[in-house]
Amino acid sequence: MDELSLAALFVFVLFLLLGTGVWVALALIGVAVVGMELFTSRPAGDAMVTTIWAMSSSWTLTALPLFIWMGEILFRTRLSEDMFKGLAPWMGRLPGGLLHTNIVGCTVFAAVSGSSAATLTTVGKMSIPELRRRGYPERMSVGTLAGAATLGLMIPPSLTLIVYGVTINESITKLFMAGVLPGLTLAALFMGYVVAWHYLAPGQRPEAEPATSLGERLAASRFLLPVLALIALVIGSMYLGFATATEAAAFGVIGALALAAAQGSLTRKSFAESLMGAVRTSAMVAFILMGAAFLSLSMGFTGLPRALAGYIASLELSPFLLIVALTVFYVVIGCFLDGISSVVLTMAVVQPMVDVPAFRELGFDMIWFGIFVVVVVEMAQITPPIGFNLFVMQGLTGHGMGYVARAAFPMFLIMVAMVGVLVVLPDLATWLPETMRARPGP
Amino acid sequence: MTGARTGLRRALDALYLAGGIVAAGFLLAMLGVIVAQMAARWFAFSFPGSAAYAGYCMAAASFLALPYALNAGAHIRVGLFLTALGRHRRWGELWCLAIGAGLATYFAWYAVRGVRFSLQFNDISQDQDATPLWIPQSAMVVGTILLAICLWDNLIRLALTGRDNIAPEQLPETIATSEEPRHG
Repeated sequence: MDELSLAALFVFVLFLLLGTGVWVALALIGVAVVGMELFTSRPAGDAMVTTIWAMSSSWTLTALPLFIWMGEILFRTRLSEDMFKGLAPWMGRLPGGLLHTNIVGCTVFAAVSGSSAATLTTVGKMSIPELRRRGYPERMSVGTLAGAATLGLMIPPSLTLIVYGVTINESITKLFMAGVLPGLTLAALFMGYVVAWHYLAPGQRPEAEPATSLGERLAASRFLLPVLALIALVIGSMYLGFATATEAAAFGVIGALALAAAQGSLTRKSFAESLMGAVRTSAMVAFILMGAAFLSLSMGFTGLPRALAGYIASLELSPFLLIVALTVFYVVIGCFLDGISSVVLTMAVVQPMVDVPAFRELGFDMIWFGIFVVVVVEMAQITPPIGFNLFVMQGLTGHGMGYVARAAFPMFLIMVAMVGVLVVLPDLATWLPETMRARPGP
Repeated sequence: MTGARTGLRRALDALYLAGGIVAAGFLLAMLGVIVAQMAARWFAFSFPGSAAYAGYCMAAASFLALPYALNAGAHIRVGLFLTALGRHRRWGELWCLAIGAGLATYFAWYAVRGVRFSLQFNDISQDQDATPLWIPQSAMVVGTILLAICLWDNLIRLALTGRDNIAPEQLPETIATSEEPRHG
């Protein structure tokens, strides 16, 4: 067989295993073995064990389970309840009213959790019933929540950014810092949409909330303030170069345990549940990363990434056109795969295309590209047929998938606009990582 | 016969859970190592090789929990095709489990081989800790063997009884709805 049909066979096996429902991590290992057997005489099994061991015992990876655990601990506290009660008095009188609690709540929880599904559940289980009771249009409540929950992937700590950083060997701390401003910008765009709704559809506004004094507001949010302090500690310690990402995560875990204990929700049961939850999720992600590390070794032997990058270069697309093409590519992939799998599966092929001088000159370095990938992967979370947030929303609100997807569609368009903002203003992502004080890893 | 079978069932389930619990222990140990490393920096004592130790804990926590996470439904897969199979879903599941069991066995086989080489050539960590590598690597051996057993177990069980041991994929709302509603 010639090179081309071998490559076709390799890609076919990839689609076959993933498509028929073999667990993603095992599918990646299987494809990688096939690639090694087809394209090189190196012993596949021994190369596999060496590569996977190096990946699974790497220092960078240690941030992963700790950040997951921190989110799991706070998920099991009264945070969900306190979040709504604490935010409502501040948001009630803004144009658009309590819909803003969806967005601000998601932004706050995104900063303690790396997963958009956990963000969605924590914020939504309080805000959806409360918004319903007050007569906000269901479509707006559901749409803004589904959209804003995707912030969980962008605002640090973000599992997708950790996975991206480990995959292309880039600093997790820098990626986290890069996510802060774009995350806040996206939140501001969502809030702008709620304000616009307020003025454009006055007939749908529910009754305004009663005015509250500053004292009352502060009293209502006194439970929220420690969480904000924890966020400041975790992100601030990384920005000021006081701690590496892993060390900041350790602060986060200890802080979250202290918060839960102070609230009285830290029982032996909730401690064990949060720990075991972290063990499961982190084993899942680590397994995918192991498979991805082996696959990327195998891919190197197939020559596919180089050939594809060469082909793309020969087209002489402008970087902007390539960005548009990649956006479409990721949204299509995201229709079938979750965010983490799409990142690990594509980076071996996409990195040689975009890690080129023509990109870097425009300010699109690999840190910037990480934020870009997260935004486009986020978009896929709210598009059918697979959008993960849609599934969670379905369970939470009782609406069908189609309804949720339609309600979230304006948020999808806002994210498309966000890609535009990132392209025009790449500094939004790269400015914080450049100004932070780096702490060299141990 | 049934008694022996349920005994085996219980023993296997206990084995997977034990893997998960030991993994949790390694996660706690990892937190301990990282805190000790920070303390070492602040109070200016030395903790050579701390990053390597944290990495070993990470690897052990990941490998040992693989079968536990599998049965809890935590591992991600693309479900479109399996759902489309409808009442023939079992055949799709058998195919996935057969592929999975084969690959996990292959992985476990080479993990054993890799650690045997480490032992034979006396591989030492390149980091400051200078640990003989076979010690942390044995977690990879145990974890991959457990994963292979777990996948064969599920494959055989599905083929014989029509049901496997794997929980449906976990979505966070199942956690949310199982919680007591709180008023306050």
